[in-house]
Amino acid sequence: MSVKERDPLTGHQTTGHEWDGITELNTPVPRAVWFFIIVTHIWALIAWILLPTWPLLTTYTKGLLGVDQQEQVEEAVVAANAQRADWATQIDHLPPQEVLANGDLSRRVAETGHQLFGDNCAGCHGTNAQGGPGFPSLTDAAWLWGGDFGNIMETLRVGINSDHPETRFGQMMAFGREGILSRDEVRVVADYVQSLSGEDISATRREHGAQIFADNCASCHGDSGIGDASLGAPNLTDDFWIYGGSDKALFTTIFGGRQGWMPAWENRLGLTERKILALYLMQLGQQRDAQVAVK
Amino acid sequence: MMSKLTGAERQSALLICIAVLLAGVAMAALGHGDLMGAQGWVVIAYCALMLWFIMPTIGDPEPTEDRSASYYDDPTKAGIIIGMIWAVIGMGMGVWVAAMLAWPELRFDGAWSSFGRLRPVHTSGVIFGFGGNILIATSYHVMQRTCRARMPGQLSPWFVLMGYNLFCVVAASGYVMGVTQSKEYAEPEWYADIWLVVVWVTYFVLYLRTLARRNEPHIYVANWYYMAFILVVAMLHIINNLAVPASWTGAKSYSAFSGVQDAMTQWWYGHNAVAFFLTAGFLGMLYYFLPKRAERPIYSYRLSILSFWGITFFYMWAGSHHLHYTALPQWVQTLGMTFSVMLLVPSWASAGNALMTLNGAWHKVRDDATLRFMMVAAVFYGLSTFEGSFMAIRPVNGLSHYTDWTIGHVHAGAMGWVALISFGSIYALAPLLWRKTGMYSAKAVEWHFWLALAGTIIYVFAMWNSGIIQGLMWRTYNETGTLEYSFLDSLIAMHPYYIARTFGGLLFLIGACIGLWNVVMTVRRAPRQQPERDYPTSSEASEPALPAAE
Amino acid sequence: MLKDLLKPFARFFNFQARTHYKAERHSIALALGIIGAASIGGIVEIAPLFTIDSTVEAAPDMRVYTPLEQAGRDIYIREGCYACHSQMIRTLRDEVERYGPYSLAAESQYDHPMLWGSKRTGPDLARLGGKYSDDWQVRHLIDPRDLVPESVMPSYAFLQDAPLETDSLPGRLAALRAVGVPYTDDQIANASHDAIGQAMPDSTAAGGVTERYGEATNLRLFDGSNARVTEMDALVAYLQILGQLTQLPYEIEPKAEE
Ligand code: HEC
Ligand code: HEC
Ligand code: HEC
Ligand code: HEM
Ligand code: HEM
Ligand SMILES: [Ca+2]
Ligand SMILES: [Ca+2]
Ligand SMILES: [Cu+2]
Repeated sequence: MSVKERDPLTGHQTTGHEWDGITELNTPVPRAVWFFIIVTHIWALIAWILLPTWPLLTTYTKGLLGVDQQEQVEEAVVAANAQRADWATQIDHLPPQEVLANGDLSRRVAETGHQLFGDNCAGCHGTNAQGGPGFPSLTDAAWLWGGDFGNIMETLRVGINSDHPETRFGQMMAFGREGILSRDEVRVVADYVQSLSGEDISATRREHGAQIFADNCASCHGDSGIGDASLGAPNLTDDFWIYGGSDKALFTTIFGGRQGWMPAWENRLGLTERKILALYLMQLGQQRDAQVAVK
Repeated sequence: MMSKLTGAERQSALLICIAVLLAGVAMAALGHGDLMGAQGWVVIAYCALMLWFIMPTIGDPEPTEDRSASYYDDPTKAGIIIGMIWAVIGMGMGVWVAAMLAWPELRFDGAWSSFGRLRPVHTSGVIFGFGGNILIATSYHVMQRTCRARMPGQLSPWFVLMGYNLFCVVAASGYVMGVTQSKEYAEPEWYADIWLVVVWVTYFVLYLRTLARRNEPHIYVANWYYMAFILVVAMLHIINNLAVPASWTGAKSYSAFSGVQDAMTQWWYGHNAVAFFLTAGFLGMLYYFLPKRAERPIYSYRLSILSFWGITFFYMWAGSHHLHYTALPQWVQTLGMTFSVMLLVPSWASAGNALMTLNGAWHKVRDDATLRFMMVAAVFYGLSTFEGSFMAIRPVNGLSHYTDWTIGHVHAGAMGWVALISFGSIYALAPLLWRKTGMYSAKAVEWHFWLALAGTIIYVFAMWNSGIIQGLMWRTYNETGTLEYSFLDSLIAMHPYYIARTFGGLLFLIGACIGLWNVVMTVRRAPRQQPERDYPTSSEASEPALPAAE
Repeated sequence: MLKDLLKPFARFFNFQARTHYKAERHSIALALGIIGAASIGGIVEIAPLFTIDSTVEAAPDMRVYTPLEQAGRDIYIREGCYACHSQMIRTLRDEVERYGPYSLAAESQYDHPMLWGSKRTGPDLARLGGKYSDDWQVRHLIDPRDLVPESVMPSYAFLQDAPLETDSLPGRLAALRAVGVPYTDDQIANASHDAIGQAMPDSTAAGGVTERYGEATNLRLFDGSNARVTEMDALVAYLQILGQLTQLPYEIEPKAEE
């Protein structure tokens, strides 16, 4: 097909070639295409003038707007903090009870706490703060280190057994593994611990267990087993367990010991954020108390 | 198939196989105790398979056919079948990894079956296994037809095809074992990368030599695109894969670049793998099979020029749109954003050129599922490039980046454009190659079309939804001025969309299985028919005067 | 008016089409044209990243990965964690507020390759180091849904049983030095030894680690077991150092907190 043909449908000429039956029309580039080329190029040109764009050998054109993404985000964060300052300073300075009593501040704590807790704490303590195997529930009434505002703030600041220099330090010895108690003795004292929260055991076993408990455990968990918040030793008479209250779980705990690890948040979260979290936990506690009261 | 090779060609094939086999033995022996050793066994097994094909034919008589009287289509046929098998594997993997994001326990507690290891089997399986084989196969067909010339030799097309598949097999088996460089779409380790360079250079030489033999003064547009595909992929591959192996007998290597330079090189590669692997070559396909099937002239030669050079030039600047707001200096981000937007016009020009070509043939689109595949592919091409340019705008990308929106965009392009144009081309090509009256089942083609379209739409809509929800949840502020949702909240919100995506993918996979079945049945059962004219002829074209603008 | 505006373009393009019409008869011309057109973008965008000094901030306290951490990084790559986790906090307010100070180029200057990622199926990990305990990391890798019931992350329990291969570490560190990470001869020669020492703080091998990598190095039983050094040890050691190689990002963080 050496001769140029005219396509009857469009009226355009072909280029005069044929490849395996394929021909091409020599239609001019549609006007719309030129138009959009111009529009996009002008847009690009404007962007190049305004924004950092072209590399030179050791520097680059900074653009008329003089923007810089790092400065921009820093400004955005500063501006956001300034915007939050009115309520944030109140949270910083008011006593916790007043914050919780204040409807507006309390709502802000709840709203903010949800995300802060979800992104930082939920991995261990669960999305609804109810804990999990090895991680204490933060909604119950049982606290290792005390559940008042100051204690929670301190726990958050330094962590537990963390790498913070002032960390809270709590360790439950491995009575079995270290050979302090025999396997049988561990079983007996475990039964005794269960009896503290109301389970029936035989009198001889109770006696034997009480003896072992007094000799080994009472120094931390107290004579009656109600724990010691200054040592992080939990109350063993309530029905709240971190590692579980079954025979097997108790055996593992007493035989192998425990040393929970909670990170220090001082360098990761700001003071206000930590305060919000502590208040958020207290709110969860209040909700729990309210539920209990209803029942 | 082997009987068409001359004795000398068969012997050379044998020698090459043995040489590669020995390399495999060396890998297995020297790399013993390292994953390299396991990869050596994969090479050995592959070569043994090749030898099993070659050995029995070594003593066969010389072929008698007149080579100048026909095109050489055997590698094309093999490439299409292999490509369809990869489609089923790759998309099957896609459905599996999709399901794992909805039901994470859906694996056989092995190390090999975790999401992180199987995901690249999916991406490489569909892009390189399916896409690459179809690209190579169709390029052989198209270059011979549009040059009116047979390929120069019979060995090198086979070497390219089978050598390329060796690369794919080594890559996919490697991911499952844990061999990866982690660079997206360039995951295979250094030895596989080197092997691909050998294959690719042979491919390029084959292309040039075929063009040199052509009986047609001008090189057809489809060939520009295939050539850009071959050349630019070579450039990208070599530079992005520069690495130093930790040991010559171990699989592990370390990228020559680090940090920000590595990120830029990687996404210069990654974006242009999209442009030149998933776009340029497939545009070559579109430029041949669509006008051929529609029996209409290409709408505008001038538009072809504009879009070809626009795509070749602008795409290469756009990679930095994968790195908006990151530690990459902002000036590069501005370049990436602006060039991505300028790129839209040439991209739409090529989609528009294809659709305008259909003027006068719309009734065929209605009646012929094969042509409809191509038409819809062109539409999705336009759609995904528009979306891409939009997502390249910095603030938009701030929302879309890291989310399923990107995944939705990818699959609008990959399923809607890449896979559909491939299926259309295969359905157009298979009957011709095997000298049949048509596909074995026209109904099955129709079914495949609707399954593929429904699957794509479900997939893409699910991901648009989940992506935008995810992106918004990450940045939603409550009235207090603090973040509203935790990351986990957003994860939980994705669940229904992940189920929907799996379902869409399953439809698409079923379509692909039907396609494979239909091709096999066409080969085996469809009635024979000799095409009117499908052999090299000398061109009747004398050189016309330069075309004036009208 | 539009027509007039377009005229010079049209004329230019007409000229180009004619040239093209001639050029497309020569395959080599076409190939060279493609190479030329396709090279420019990459050269302009990549080369200056090596010559413009401000591209990578100066971080004098930047340290290299210990052999154990590097081995963990290689496992992170092997398992494809980057498919779900980014390590790049963008300069966006919400990311900074959620994850911490935005990532700097300096932080990944020894990362061959970088692991910035392109998809967040799971959260960003750029500031992960120290966020959880070793024990948490181990339990999470063994069964993510044990700790986070909503998680879709795969379990990697087999890491706990896989002894860490340490013989190849000197070769790895040497290769990293070849691409620009400043490991010393001493560090390379003792790489295998140091990997074991870091995960077994009570062993004799431990002493050399602090000597070669500094007092601040984490020497711990990362996987909780003293029996042997496992892949779990290495991966957790790596995870615990993410975001801790230099303090620069925390120093330039805007201090408008209160
Ligand atoms: C690495 C896991 C981990 C993360 C993350 C974590 N914790 Fe803890 N947390 C623990 C463990 C373990 C304990 C109990 C320590 C022990 O057993 O002695 C604990 C204890 C606590 C306690 C003391 C409970 C008591 O009874 O006195 C508070 C309060 C607390 N966590 C709050 C938080 C908050 C708020 C966050 C998020 C900012 C958080 N935790 C993140 C593991 C974690
Ligand atoms: C050195 C102080 C100390 C001594 C002595 C001690 N404990 Fe503990 N105990 C702790 C601490 C601290 C914890 C909390 C550890 C943690 O949460 O990781 C604990 C936890 C426990 C728990 C787990 C409670 C739960 O909620 O799961 C049990 C049970 C327990 N101790 C029983 C005993 C018994 C029985 C003995 C004596 C054989 C004993 N402890 C001796 C400090 C001690
Ligand atoms: C299928 C996707 C997927 C893969 C692959 C994956 N993860 Fe995850 N990852 C998640 C999801 C989803 C979460 C959030 C839920 C959770 O904490 O489990 C997560 C959370 C995490 C976290 C907790 C981060 C934080 O700040 O809370 C760490 C650490 C982690 N992954 C490490 C890894 C490592 C190491 C690998 C590879 C060995 C890996 N992940 C592979 C999906 C994945
Ligand atoms: C059966 C149909 C398919 C299904 C079910 C499917 C599923 C998936 C899934 C689940 C992912 C991972 C997404 C994530 O990490 O969140 C993915 C990624 C990907 N798929 Fe597919 N896919 C299919 C078809 C295809 C096809 C045909 C192609 C290409 C030709 C393709 C190319 C890709 C690419 C390039 C990615 C990586 C995207 C990115 O990293 O941004 N897929 N696919
Ligand atoms: C004008 C054309 C196009 C532009 C400007 C463009 C732009 C983009 C942008 C901005 C992203 C998101 C990057 C991010 O946030 O990480 C992206 C991702 C992607 N696009 Fe496109 N796109 C175009 C066309 C296509 C086509 C036709 C395909 C065909 C298959 C495609 C495949 C992909 C893939 C696979 C990714 C994911 C890369 C990854 O993160 O792994 N794109 N594209
Ligand atoms: Ca590679
Ligand atoms: Ca990706
Ligand atoms: Cu891109």
